[in-house]
Amino acid sequence: MSTFSEKAKNLYKTLCQTEWNATVTGVLIALFSILIMAWWRPWGAVGAIRNWGEWILYGIGVFDHAPSAFLFNSGSVIGIGFVAGAFVSACLGNDFSFKFPPPWELVKAVIAGILMGVGSAFAGGCNVGGMYNAIGNLAANGFTMWIGLVIGVILGLKYIYWEMEHITWGISGGKNIDMPFALKVILGIAAIIALFWGAKVYSGSEDAYAASLGGILLISAALGYSMQRGRWCMVQAFREPHMTGDCTLAKSVALSILILAIGAAVLKYAVPQRGPAVAVGNTVISALEDVEVDEIDDEDLADTLEDVVDAGDQALQGAQRVLDPVNYVRGTFGWGGILGGFLFGLGAMFAGGCGSGTLWRVGEGQMKLWLVVPVFGVTNAIMTKWFKAMHMEGTGALHVGSKLGKHIYLPDVLGYGGTLILIAIIMGLWYLIVDWNEDSNKFIVGM
Amino acid sequence: MSDIKVAPDGLEVARTLDAKGLSCPMPLLRTKKEIEKINSGEILEVLGTDPGSRNDIPGWCARAGHEYLGEKEDDGFIRFYVKKK
Repeated sequence: MSTFSEKAKNLYKTLCQTEWNATVTGVLIALFSILIMAWWRPWGAVGAIRNWGEWILYGIGVFDHAPSAFLFNSGSVIGIGFVAGAFVSACLGNDFSFKFPPPWELVKAVIAGILMGVGSAFAGGCNVGGMYNAIGNLAANGFTMWIGLVIGVILGLKYIYWEMEHITWGISGGKNIDMPFALKVILGIAAIIALFWGAKVYSGSEDAYAASLGGILLISAALGYSMQRGRWCMVQAFREPHMTGDCTLAKSVALSILILAIGAAVLKYAVPQRGPAVAVGNTVISALEDVEVDEIDDEDLADTLEDVVDAGDQALQGAQRVLDPVNYVRGTFGWGGILGGFLFGLGAMFAGGCGSGTLWRVGEGQMKLWLVVPVFGVTNAIMTKWFKAMHMEGTGALHVGSKLGKHIYLPDVLGYGGTLILIAIIMGLWYLIVDWNEDSNKFIVGM
Repeated sequence: MSDIKVAPDGLEVARTLDAKGLSCPMPLLRTKKEIEKINSGEILEVLGTDPGSRNDIPGWCARAGHEYLGEKEDDGFIRFYVKKK
């Protein structure tokens, strides 16, 4: 029995306390990203942050109309699940505490929030929706943001070096308010119960939209948990090769993007071929099964027709969601993506976390990031409203007339195979370059 | 990653860096800068609260050739010890 309890202890340690290996975490993030896509929609960080920002603006009277409720906006529910998952991980792993930074870091948090809010408006998303999930959704705009992120992060690193030489005000005196580990475990378990209870309430809803939020909540929580446990940070993946040369995270992100793209290509190609047809087929068969041909009167016929129509609707709705290749491609393949990526990368360096990295650090109790989120959200909400009024990203799902760049769904140009080959080549090159740089230190920015 | 390395008692510290409340990448960058202020063989103590430092500081030591002596849990923060090469 004692060895068994020993093994159980080790399992707890592996699942909840030790930092997960970067490669494993990258594969898990890709898996959960594909799952949430298959469930309904790709995940993102800025959708949540913007929704919360809109509520702040509405609360202080800047916006006239109430934004969508944060418990029913799918983007916001993703954010809630993600932060909750990170909180669970931080509690069970004894990483959670209220970490108050020195005052200068709070100034940087405000600058970071503004840069990230503006950047994600130009790029059509943060590092997740605009880059990770954009490439994952086979959208060309993911690559322009990727380029911008590299440039922004390098400049941000140069700024931080400058700051360390020249800024002397408010750089120390941070505080940490900790609590007993036992209390953290209780809070972590309470959060797990709340997540499952929330998912149950959503799933019980008669409204199909609200019902689907149950899965969204739980898969997002799995993403937040994995990212906190693996300290999987995309800005670190971009930064580290230029700072210390370490390429562990960069390789992991490259691998994760490739797996995600393969998963997305399979879903986007295969499901529209079969999904709606199956739905229609099943409904037609079951509706006609009990109908005796001789006894058909008008009522039965009407019912049957109704079912067929419903099935058609369902198929249509399904096609309009994630699996419709047109969705989740933005009109930012061009200067919008590059400038947005640049501003976002610079902001993420000020913040010490990208869109997703900011959210999981919120769940860990880092007060600096607690300040980044509202500033980021308010800035992005204002920018998005302004861009919409100006038709910056054009009109409709195809972004006709976008001023920020082109709307390109890569399989339209290269086919699914060609797209996957292109993504594999680019991720492979990135992998090779950072790996080579780890030994040669060619791209390290000196202090 | 690997298990936490606990620093031995009675280390003679040449310099202490207060990185409490700082988040990634500041604790590591400050450490990199601060270590330039001590002599070879002397020990730098870093006070931090970012769980990421548990991985960053030993990783950087291995890369830069400094000796990572380990950490000590204090009241609400961690003390990291690095011996300069």
